[in-house]
Amino acid sequence: MSDTVQASPDAAAQNALVPVTVLTGFLGAGKTTLLNHILTAQHGRKYAVVVNEFGELGVDNDLVVDADEEVFEMNNGCICCTVRGDLIRILGNLMKRRAKFDGIIVETTGLADPAPVAQTFFVDEDVRGKTRLDAVVTVVDAYNVIQTLDESPEAVNQIAFADVIILNKTDLVDEVALATIESRIRSINAVARIHRAQRGDVPLSDVLDQGGFDLQRALEHAPHFLEDTSHSHEADVTSLSYEVEEPLDAAKFQAWIGAVLQEQGADILRAKGILNYAGEDQRFAFQAVHMMADGGFIGPWKEGEPRVSRLVFIGRNLNRPQLRRGFESCRAK
Amino acid sequence: MSDTVNDTIPPTGLLERRGAMRQLEGQITGCTVSRDSQQVAFVTGEGDIMVADRTDWGQSDAWTVTTVHDGTILAIAPDAGPTGFLTGGDDSALRRIAADGSVSDLVKGRRWIEHVTTWSSGKGGVIAFASGRQVELRDADGQTTLKVLDHPSTVSGIVFDAKGKRIAASHYNGASMWFVQAKVDTVRPLEWKGSHIGIAIHPAGEALVTSMQESELHGWRLADGHNMRMSGYPSKVQSMAFTRNGKWLVTSGADTIVMWPFFGGGPMGKPPAEAGGLPGVMCTRVACHPVHDIVAAGFADGSVLMADTGAQRILPVCIGGSGPVTALEFSPDGCCLAFGSEDGRACVVDLSAK
Repeated sequence: MSDTVQASPDAAAQNALVPVTVLTGFLGAGKTTLLNHILTAQHGRKYAVVVNEFGELGVDNDLVVDADEEVFEMNNGCICCTVRGDLIRILGNLMKRRAKFDGIIVETTGLADPAPVAQTFFVDEDVRGKTRLDAVVTVVDAYNVIQTLDESPEAVNQIAFADVIILNKTDLVDEVALATIESRIRSINAVARIHRAQRGDVPLSDVLDQGGFDLQRALEHAPHFLEDTSHSHEADVTSLSYEVEEPLDAAKFQAWIGAVLQEQGADILRAKGILNYAGEDQRFAFQAVHMMADGGFIGPWKEGEPRVSRLVFIGRNLNRPQLRRGFESCRAK
Repeated sequence: MSDTVNDTIPPTGLLERRGAMRQLEGQITGCTVSRDSQQVAFVTGEGDIMVADRTDWGQSDAWTVTTVHDGTILAIAPDAGPTGFLTGGDDSALRRIAADGSVSDLVKGRRWIEHVTTWSSGKGGVIAFASGRQVELRDADGQTTLKVLDHPSTVSGIVFDAKGKRIAASHYNGASMWFVQAKVDTVRPLEWKGSHIGIAIHPAGEALVTSMQESELHGWRLADGHNMRMSGYPSKVQSMAFTRNGKWLVTSGADTIVMWPFFGGGPMGKPPAEAGGLPGVMCTRVACHPVHDIVAAGFADGSVLMADTGAQRILPVCIGGSGPVTALEFSPDGCCLAFGSEDGRACVVDLSAK
């Protein structure tokens, strides 16, 4: 069942899987420019690209696949579990000629919700068997972003979902405006990495191989866990970060997070955590997209690393003190 | 192309005694046998077709390999005539490969051609292929378009009924059934919420069955549209086939060969039968013998078994030795079993009396 916490495949097996990068962003933000940049750069790697508008891509690439973003709802008891069936089909067929490329990039339409793409990787056994979701990369137009965020919940979702945000067209605004924009983005998504760019000119190492859904790298770029307690209940999408110093009881945490995802999964876009279980020498990593979750032990704590449990939720209508109390109640006695 | 013939046949089963094998570069994505049962064809993820003439079934070094698509071959079917094959690929082309090996273009479109099927009356026939949301029907000549049928989402499977009167396509939220010769196309919608990923039809036209993303089957009794649900699979059903008399629907998706009874009121309220299997190894492909009550099943470790649907007897064709079986077919005369694997192994077993 999808809302239970499953064991994660080991790292070696993960490396054999073809990485899939999801490229989102509003119309005009510069997705196609970035895509062309990725495809023409001299990196010696070959990418298959799944696009929605054939004509736009100016690059001659024989592995461009036209998709229709066909979303359907799984009958698996999760009310918000929508999946890209077309992607299951396309990735399955692309993997039949495995030898010919090193990665896959999936471009979504401007208004697309990234959740169905991400959930596809949680739901389908064949997709999971051959590919791994590397990261959601969201391209943002610095000139228009504030207005877009005010007007469009889809744009907010794309920021909230991102592992990497490419803040594009920075030449069109000044430093003060950029600081305001970055602070606004941070208030929505405190965990994403933000890279400034002009005409999509970011180093590929900032876009590809980000491990955004790799449990081994969960919270690698975690924010400073300074909790903002000015609001107790946020209607807008925001990031909530929690830390508990005492070891947790594994069973209590699993029961609590399961209930949280079951009840509030529709409002929780993403969740990530590194947990310190009582009586365990290894770190336990956890992640979720809406109601779909997975988790697993990811090796011992690093030298000098504080053994604390940390958890981040990105979502809307989240009750800060209630989630804090819930998380704290998972402490081992 | 660098195929090798040095790989050894596993020392157990019918393949060793009556078969031949050849290792190809790339995944075997499909196999079939021409309507006259004289040629076996395998297609690959690298765009190649390999053809084995009947006289060479035991001589794998005589099988000919030709590149026919610029990309993965996604579908193969016997041509509507007695000889030759049709292939569809992710280069958006539909091609005809004649018995003499000559290749001709039937379609060069803008979308992947993911499914191809044909029906033959013995004299004439119909060709159908699916590309995106459309299913196109063509005359047996391959050139004349009879009709183009639109669907609400991408078509995931197509099938003709045994008489070639109707064609059905699976897609999101059910299946669509159309009359092949109708002057005005009116769809018969068979609705069931969810993603349907494959399709099969009862040989006497009693039922239409689809495979679903949620690892179960859905069926409609065609007489009255009554819904049937067949569930309990540990994984998605990628392959299913009715036995020649329509008594059983044989499927992959478990570590045994699953057979749903389509008699005595079944499959509703009846548990499926299991015709043997390999503990802990998933069945990936099934095929039904055209003459006898025999099914063949391919597994995730490369094993292939044949089973008698009546007597519960199992005959190993080969045990292990390769990646998952991705293609498996009997010839129309039942004299040959062909199968291929994800890691490029192609095998032909001669079942004819000697």
